[in-house]
Amino acid sequence: MSQIHFTINGIPCTCEAGTTVLQAAKQNGIEIPNLCNDESVRVYGACGLCAVEVTDDGTGKALPKLLRACSAKPQEGYVIRFDTKRAAQSRKIALELLMSDHTGDCRGPCQLSCPAGTDCQGYVKKIAQGDFRGAVEIIKQKIPLPAAIGRVCPHPCEQNCRRGLVEQPISIAALKAHAADRDLAGDTFRPVPLPDTGKRVAVVGGGPGGLTAAYYLRLKGHAVTVLDAAKKMGGMLRYGIPAYRLPKELLDREISEIAALGVSMQNGVRLGKDITLQQLRDEYDAVILATGAWRSMAMHVPGETLDGVTGGIQFLHGISSGEGEIPDLTGKCVAVCGGGNTAMDACRTAIRCGAARVSVIYRRTRGEMPAEVTEIEESIEEGVSYEFLANPAEIIGENGHVKQVKLQVMELGAPDASGRRAPVPIAGRFKYLDADLVIMAIGQTPDTAGLDGIALTKKGTVAADAGTFRTNLPGVYAVGDLTNRGASIAIEAIGEAGRCAAVVDAALRGEEKPYFAPYFSQKQVTAADLADREQQPRCPMPTRPAAERRHDFAPVNRGLDNETAMREARRCLECGCHDYHECKLIRYAQQQELHPERFAGAKNAHGKEQRLVCIERDNGKCILCGLCVRVCEEAAGKGILGLVGRGFPTVVKPEFDRPEVIAGCRDCLKCVQACPTGALRQITE
Amino acid sequence: MSGYIAVGQGSCGIAAGAANVYAALSEKLADRADIALKTVGCIGMCWLEPIVDLYDNDCLTARLVHVSPADADRIVTAAESGDLSGIADLVITAEDSAFLAKQTRIALRNCGIIDPTSLESARAAGGYSALAKILTGEGMTPEQVIECIKVSGLAGRGGAGFPTWFKWNAARQAPGDEKYLICNADEGDPGAFMDRAVIESDPHTLIEGMLIAAYAIGAREAIVYVRAEYPLAIKRLTRAIGQAREAGLIGDNIMGSGFSCDFRIKAGAGAFVCGEETALIESLQGSRGMPRLKPPFPAQAGYWYKPSNINNVETFANVAWIISNGGAAFAAMGTPDSKGTKVFALTGKVRRSGLVEIPMGMTLRDVIFGIGGGIRGGGSFKAVQMGGPSGGCISASLLDTVIDYKALGATGAIMGSGGMVVMDDSTCMVSMAKFFLDFTAKESCGKCVHCRIGTKRMQEILTRIVAGEGVPEDIGLLEELCLAVRDGALCGLGQTAPNPVLTTLRYFRGEFEAHTDPEHRRCPAHACQALLTYSVDAEKCRGCTLCAKKCPVGAISGTVKQPHAIDKDRCIRCGQCYAACRFGAVIKD
Repeated sequence: MSQIHFTINGIPCTCEAGTTVLQAAKQNGIEIPNLCNDESVRVYGACGLCAVEVTDDGTGKALPKLLRACSAKPQEGYVIRFDTKRAAQSRKIALELLMSDHTGDCRGPCQLSCPAGTDCQGYVKKIAQGDFRGAVEIIKQKIPLPAAIGRVCPHPCEQNCRRGLVEQPISIAALKAHAADRDLAGDTFRPVPLPDTGKRVAVVGGGPGGLTAAYYLRLKGHAVTVLDAAKKMGGMLRYGIPAYRLPKELLDREISEIAALGVSMQNGVRLGKDITLQQLRDEYDAVILATGAWRSMAMHVPGETLDGVTGGIQFLHGISSGEGEIPDLTGKCVAVCGGGNTAMDACRTAIRCGAARVSVIYRRTRGEMPAEVTEIEESIEEGVSYEFLANPAEIIGENGHVKQVKLQVMELGAPDASGRRAPVPIAGRFKYLDADLVIMAIGQTPDTAGLDGIALTKKGTVAADAGTFRTNLPGVYAVGDLTNRGASIAIEAIGEAGRCAAVVDAALRGEEKPYFAPYFSQKQVTAADLADREQQPRCPMPTRPAAERRHDFAPVNRGLDNETAMREARRCLECGCHDYHECKLIRYAQQQELHPERFAGAKNAHGKEQRLVCIERDNGKCILCGLCVRVCEEAAGKGILGLVGRGFPTVVKPEFDRPEVIAGCRDCLKCVQACPTGALRQITE
Repeated sequence: MSGYIAVGQGSCGIAAGAANVYAALSEKLADRADIALKTVGCIGMCWLEPIVDLYDNDCLTARLVHVSPADADRIVTAAESGDLSGIADLVITAEDSAFLAKQTRIALRNCGIIDPTSLESARAAGGYSALAKILTGEGMTPEQVIECIKVSGLAGRGGAGFPTWFKWNAARQAPGDEKYLICNADEGDPGAFMDRAVIESDPHTLIEGMLIAAYAIGAREAIVYVRAEYPLAIKRLTRAIGQAREAGLIGDNIMGSGFSCDFRIKAGAGAFVCGEETALIESLQGSRGMPRLKPPFPAQAGYWYKPSNINNVETFANVAWIISNGGAAFAAMGTPDSKGTKVFALTGKVRRSGLVEIPMGMTLRDVIFGIGGGIRGGGSFKAVQMGGPSGGCISASLLDTVIDYKALGATGAIMGSGGMVVMDDSTCMVSMAKFFLDFTAKESCGKCVHCRIGTKRMQEILTRIVAGEGVPEDIGLLEELCLAVRDGALCGLGQTAPNPVLTTLRYFRGEFEAHTDPEHRRCPAHACQALLTYSVDAEKCRGCTLCAKKCPVGAISGTVKQPHAIDKDRCIRCGQCYAACRFGAVIKD
């Protein structure tokens, strides 16, 4: 046979005459996307993903039409590309159209709601199987500090867990902490960094964001140095989070794991004072700013500067880290302003410092508090009292020291932009609260001193590009609380830092790969859909009694034992598609930014349909590539399946919609193996 | 006097009552030997059916139109006396006669003239003489036949306009002894009916054209794929095949030439996409009617993966004429790009609608105004839609476009199978585009993604625009989708499905913008009910209260002799007030 010479995406290729472009590409190590092709059956040409453009047919002329690689054959001198704008657009629209008619959950709501995109279902499954190390390996793909995050994270995953529609969500965070604890206690999982690239990265700020960026960049083989102004690494995890929630020895252990990968860590270095940004830019190939948001926001009420008024973060700093003295608040009245988790940390810390009375002042009601429910409950158990619908109007002092807080009485009005009902002052109604210490915990802003030349947002945070994390200065990136929207939860910073690390890694290799949100198909599920599930209540987290724990900073939670963890993990409904890692559709869909919602319209609702004992078909995930129908006929020689109906409502059913033909099925599973999505599944029970 | 009376009995004539007219005449003529009664096919003048022709010595003496059974008596009287005064009211007007006078008929040459149920009638009109020319005497080799077709410039009349000789030659050259000739009679474009007319009116011309093609490519079996919705065509073709077989024109050793070819009919099951040649082949093989990827083309691997040639009915209907008269005679008509004649099904808001066969090169204006007589009713010409669901619309500014493949293609429309739907200013172009998308989305076979889901999404966007729920961004989205479907769909149906939308966007974008204007959504043609607003012109309103009485939802208020008012929130836009008002005081916008 004669050899044909041509190129695909600029790569020189050869093949024998008569070979299709798709086969030829494969022989030359190039994958052209395709969903409906399988070498065991005849060429079909339905999916359109393998569209290629011949930009030169060997004579200098381009072919006018897009070709399908599965049927077109290269000719001598062809210049074939599937990365042209036109081919890429054709592929993108095909994928958007397919996804616009796709009903299924690629991943569970737990993972999709995790700001770091952690594969919760994946590691929960490993835990259910007793494979704790496997669980940590999955977690550490996204979170380098799982023991810490498992303890401090407000876990959006659990809020969105569908088990919550049955009774209560899976204890995802506690399971993570448990797996991580076991890992730290034994033979700790430590990934191996890629060979050194010779590139150097400086990360400013050793909090969860900075450490995460350092971790993933180091794994890519870059030399990473983390600089932090504090005595020790950990940022808010060390200086903000009280020890009763996160024991610092654990944090030390997890940080030492990062250091053990070869990340250099320098403490006591303050940007703008000990070193300048320009010096870092000169010395390193890239600089990532992750200095966080450490300034407590002022309330802008008279009396704020009185002695005895402090910020939440300032109050917690020395106590949480153990670096400062624990103040003796015996007999004192403490007022904590704010309804978030920092307010909770402050009020519960104040209790532990011996305060006689600790009051949390919040302008809405308990239902609107952003703090975690468990935190609120436990604070009440420990003796914290609440002043709801109250807002500090003035801090009244005596001899320069705080004495009382004047509170404006509020009521709830119409819902605001966040959907919560906005607090509205009731004119002329005030009340007074005695206080020796007032802690302002209404939010934090970054301190941007030392960030010379960096452009800021109107809020005073660092302006960083959403896709590239770039600041206005070349080579300088920024993530976490320091940037854009400002302070948020640790897992947000970790998620951003992980994505930033990928962008920086690409940039260091000379590629530009801005982050875009990968597409996932999601399904709407209601409690009614899960009504048939057996109730299995959540395994409660054992805690120390309030009377005991309110006097010390030892952990409140006792942790789960192995058996409980495994039992809890087995409650998982496994919402995410079982075929995610093998699904060609989602793999191609995530190769570009996809917006199928543009084409939102009618969806086929053929639903799930069980066939024989061992194959389950989910028509919501079927893309009508016809492979199951064709392999059944052409490869298995059975012809049991057929396409029924025409056009948009076409569905795969027993041939001619005659259920009795199923009797001929011998469960050869060729259809299941051929299915490019999760529409067909072998069921084992 | 020796003559005959011919009743046009195509499906269209029968639908208009021709069978009853025939029965009435038959009764009157039961005992008469001097005046024969004949069935002929369709002359193509739809708006005049039922049509009865009076012949004297094979010479047309009068064409009678809008005939009813009650006219039978006086028609017979006139026929026997030759005095037409008693039926003067039935005789076609000179103006209506002009419809035919301006045409040049080749494919339709015998339609409405000969008796489609009679082989003799066909032979008397020259039928099978072209076949005899190639098979007997000096004869012609298959290569000579193909060369003759090449000289003629005949191109596929089904829509794609691909050179016929090229396909024949490819099938001829393809290796293998087993080859097939297939006639595509799965005419599915809404508004197109020329193929039906040919089969119903002149089946032997189709058979002869196919036999010549089968000879040229080397096929020994010819199959006609006719849609099952054409029962009369199937009946007449079946009968004609039987007659031809009996006369030795079909079967073994035709005319003693050694050339053998058998014929059969396959009735299609109603899927539009089976008009696409590869889907048609799948259907012929008993599979689901879904297109195959090309290449390989049918000439290489067609029916049962053997070399096959597929042409449309109208294409075959030209073949015998070309062989008889020579390729050059056919090529003498038309333009440098397009040769010969083309049949159009002229319909819509035109005064005279029907089948029109004209030489290529005439302008659209010649056809619509010259032959069709212009716009029916009081409206003005807005656009003409050509080529059905695969075609596009052409605006008034392009009426002088000449009819050839290239010139029509440049407008964004296509020659297509010859559908020509004329629209006046009461037509909403967005609704028109939606009509075609409703059709293609429904007729998509469901195989490829771009067509199955793409046409569905296009239809959904158009539906929300005409329902008054569109937004300006929908226009861009629609356009993006159109281009992607055109580029990515597997077969001709999907690739051309966006054409009606793309051309309306090209020539009538303002209508899309008006429909989606966030300030005030409106339908400029006042055709989309959801977008209408009714109000009362207080100056013109006499306070007659009629509109208020007609309003089914009580949305109109006012006292006697005082101007009334319409509550826009309550109004359901039914238009009853508009229709009822005698003073033109209700304003529709």
